[in-house]
Amino acid sequence: MRQTGDNIFSNVDWALFGIYLILVFLGVTNIYSASYSPEHSGIFDLGSEHGKQLMWFGISIFFGIIILFLESSFIRKYSYAVYGVTCFLLAGVLFTPAVNGAHSWFGIGGFGIQPSEFAKLGVALALAQLLDQTKGQMIGRQRSRTSMGLSNLWGLVPFIQQNFRIVLVIGLPAILILLQPDAGTFIVFTAFILVLYREGYAGNILLFMIIAVIVAVITLIVSDNSFILPGLKIKLTGKTGIVLTLLLFGLIFYLLIRSFVLPRNRKTLYRALFGSLLISILFVNFIEWGYSSILQPHQKERIDLTLGKIDDPDGKGYNINRAKAAIGSGGFLGKGYRQAVLANAEQRHVPMQSTDFIFCTWSEERGFIGSFFLVILYTIMLIRMVVIAERQRSRYTRVFAYSVACIFFYHYMINVGMAIGLAPVIGIPLPFFSYGGSSLLSFSMLLFILLKLDSERKIVLQ
Amino acid sequence: MRNIESRKYVIALIFVLVSIIFTTRLFYMQVVDEQWKERAAQISENKITTYPARGIVYDRNKEKIISNEIYYDIHVIPANAKDVDSVELVKLLDISMEEYTKKMNQARNYSMKKSSELVRQIPPSEFAEVAPHLYKFPGFYEVARTLRMYPKKVGAHLLGYMNEVNDRDIERMPYYKSGDFIGRSGIERAYEEVLRGTRGVKYLLQDAVGVTTGSYEGGKYDTLALQGKKITISVDWILQEYGEKLMRNKLGSVVAIEPKTGEILAMVSSPGYDPNLLVGRRLGENYGKLEQDTLLPLQNRATNSSYPPGSTFKTIMALIGLQEGVLTTESSFPCTKSLVGCHNHPTARGISDAVKMSCNPYFYYVGKKIIQQGKKKSHFADAAIGLDIWAKYVESFGIGQDLHVDFPGLVRGHVPNTDYYNTEFPSKSNPYGEFAWAYSTIYSNSIGQGEVLVTPLEMANVAAIIANRGHYYYPHFIKEIEDSDIPEIYRQKNKSMVDPEHFDQVIDGMWRVVHEAGGTARRARVDSLNICGKTGTAENFRIINGKREQFTDHSIFMAFAPKDDPQIAISVYIENSGFGGTWAAPLASLMIEKYITGEVKDTVKENRILNADLIPNWSNIVKKKK
Repeated sequence: MRQTGDNIFSNVDWALFGIYLILVFLGVTNIYSASYSPEHSGIFDLGSEHGKQLMWFGISIFFGIIILFLESSFIRKYSYAVYGVTCFLLAGVLFTPAVNGAHSWFGIGGFGIQPSEFAKLGVALALAQLLDQTKGQMIGRQRSRTSMGLSNLWGLVPFIQQNFRIVLVIGLPAILILLQPDAGTFIVFTAFILVLYREGYAGNILLFMIIAVIVAVITLIVSDNSFILPGLKIKLTGKTGIVLTLLLFGLIFYLLIRSFVLPRNRKTLYRALFGSLLISILFVNFIEWGYSSILQPHQKERIDLTLGKIDDPDGKGYNINRAKAAIGSGGFLGKGYRQAVLANAEQRHVPMQSTDFIFCTWSEERGFIGSFFLVILYTIMLIRMVVIAERQRSRYTRVFAYSVACIFFYHYMINVGMAIGLAPVIGIPLPFFSYGGSSLLSFSMLLFILLKLDSERKIVLQ
Repeated sequence: MRNIESRKYVIALIFVLVSIIFTTRLFYMQVVDEQWKERAAQISENKITTYPARGIVYDRNKEKIISNEIYYDIHVIPANAKDVDSVELVKLLDISMEEYTKKMNQARNYSMKKSSELVRQIPPSEFAEVAPHLYKFPGFYEVARTLRMYPKKVGAHLLGYMNEVNDRDIERMPYYKSGDFIGRSGIERAYEEVLRGTRGVKYLLQDAVGVTTGSYEGGKYDTLALQGKKITISVDWILQEYGEKLMRNKLGSVVAIEPKTGEILAMVSSPGYDPNLLVGRRLGENYGKLEQDTLLPLQNRATNSSYPPGSTFKTIMALIGLQEGVLTTESSFPCTKSLVGCHNHPTARGISDAVKMSCNPYFYYVGKKIIQQGKKKSHFADAAIGLDIWAKYVESFGIGQDLHVDFPGLVRGHVPNTDYYNTEFPSKSNPYGEFAWAYSTIYSNSIGQGEVLVTPLEMANVAAIIANRGHYYYPHFIKEIEDSDIPEIYRQKNKSMVDPEHFDQVIDGMWRVVHEAGGTARRARVDSLNICGKTGTAENFRIINGKREQFTDHSIFMAFAPKDDPQIAISVYIENSGFGGTWAAPLASLMIEKYITGEVKDTVKENRILNADLIPNWSNIVKKKK
């Protein structure tokens, strides 16, 4: 399906490209402010962070143009190859010396490369290819019709059985990243669940995830507490309380089913009820065990801080407290460009102010107006990606577009959420905004491949 | 399929929902909630307080009596203090090696990059030797601060001293912060709020480790420290200095008041000390030494001791008797020594005579006439009524009353009344009780030896009341406050219950005390000054080895001058020095002469007082019983 006659740029989605340019431009100016040092104040000074960011932007544009000149069939053809290379790199990086306790960098000269940033691209391509090949098999729908979900781990077990390859494509790099260890990027891989959801798989998984997060949060909040049962002088732990509550709900549902459901349908519902009750109780125990045994102390701390279980503004909560103070002190209009007194390189109250906490410098200097503008910009970008995805006739492109949207969404949600104290501190970059060559390049490539695939939407006859 | 198509809306909805949550949260944090702005200021700003110099104090002749002097604290930034020759430094700063090591460790623990205090308050004279060598010790530098300086070594009790606030002060008075100084006594304390000035504030930006990186918003919110207000006090510093000179080697006090205004002209308490001792780094050490001294130099005897007034009280007795109409100016009573002891003198033919000769039995009868007026049949009930009438009169002379003096820690004298003898005297557990006492029980009050107690300040005020023929102004120190008026209360005239016309004969008697043969205070005579005075001797007791021993009497003199246009009223107490006319009267006359004429002509009298050493030796002064 060769493109004939038309200029390769004619069908590019300029709106999305425009948002990209705005974000990168604002990002560079913001990094300039966040990491300003008088010795490296030149705009193209490669010794400065903004200079390096500009250089990586140039590299990104260079690769972007190459991508635009490629054929989309070429991209599809090498989807698995790119995936393979990123998995290989992810395996390889585990043998490099640890930086900050994690094996996640390949050092090349003065620059470092993080293969985990590119793994997202690999998985997005491979997943698009895989789902494109398996199209027509309405596994998800069949499953959702045959079982009531609740009795078989909400469809999780049959899903894994029936879609082993999908789980493998996402799971392999995810596990390799977890081995680095890089919990932040690992979490980003759960973004693909949203993609699968859109593609008709695992309708319950989304609901399951939301309920699971709520139960997990409640479990973690009350697990350390104990309370005395009213009327009786029995002291209960938080966990027992949750289990009792779950049993109570089970009983209520049992009574509801017995009263309102036809006897022939009851059996299935009873099974579902019993199954979900069992799973919930197991899950509560798993969360508590996982929290105390799997998570590392600093991760536990970050969760506790977000949940408000620890209040230690100058100790354990130092980062998040400084970040919130920087953002909150921005006020409505902000302190003005280069006027930040907390999130800048001179004062350094906010740590990692040019990478993970880049949002702080922006918010402190630009105030609520600026923060709101940025939130709107990201939202428009994400919605634009959904629009692009939905106008595709090719399932490959649609899956890829959703992957890109969901990856960006996760980064945006976690990074901003952490800066304003709604999410635990997880070190992942804000797309196009945080300082960092690998992330800028990989985000750019995701975007350019999307633009390229989208530009050929009219001639791809699927 | 419709079902799955609609999932795009779910996804878009999730995106939008998260953004709405973020926007709400950001709006709350950045616009609504003020706590983060405060938090940010707390983190990023360093509020530096600049200390104002304290207000200067002048005397009534505009002589500077308290000024400020720059002292130096030595601070250290541990990170900059490298290759320090600590042996030499310790020698230079005059501190011990242990102290140096301790302070340096504290500084390091506090912060390597922030400064800590190492030595405080090096006086300028000592710092002159330190300054040229300080450059050899990188990381060590001086911080100037102003402390009090007293040009003359005079008036320690009056001016008071200052020291650092403690935790309790800070809790009680939130204005003060750790390290601040506060007036503890005297004028420094009374006018603390006027003298302390207004602190200035400088906002600096600091980085994550606390190092200053610049000024906040170009110093927009900085304020300058404002020096405390100048005040002028009514004391005549020349007179004060002279009084302290005269009181050297004596225990006691001198208080002088200008009767026309109530302004205190001098307030001497002896022994005194150099007020400069309680300034600077040796404050604690010196205070300890003064506190240990058996002669109690820290005690302000003029305001914090009350004594029996002795015979000086007879003037008040005479005035009350006249006002009550129980005697006339010509009333005469026999000198009945069997009632109460007296010295040999002719019979007093009238009040003037009685005051001049200080006849004890005379005032025994006066007291009896006042207290036993025969209003009740029962002697006891009659005395109870009479005593309360008498007590009201005495109180109207300011004794035991709140005189609203602008001076902290004043003790009040005591006027016994009916209630006192009924419930408190001799002890609360075993008082006389109602209708169990009469004049015969309490008659010593009539000659100033009973339960009446007067402070030297009150005594001087009584002299002022007599000088004014019946009225007085609350005694006070303040004369001028920069940019504000002195309190209205000091302009208000207070009247005693005795009308002016009754004063003439008493004053006449007081004039004759000084000027006539047979007067008790002829040593106080200064030609042309017309000093009117009254001597007194107060019996006093101390418990020595569990025994109540009587000591040599306190010598008391109360006077004013000149007779017709009084410019000064004075009380002099010299402890354990005997008869009032011997020491207290001439000393008072010297003070009066010095104040009115500016110089003392009678150098013989002056030298006699200057050379007298009247400090009692406690073991030898037990009064020989007659």
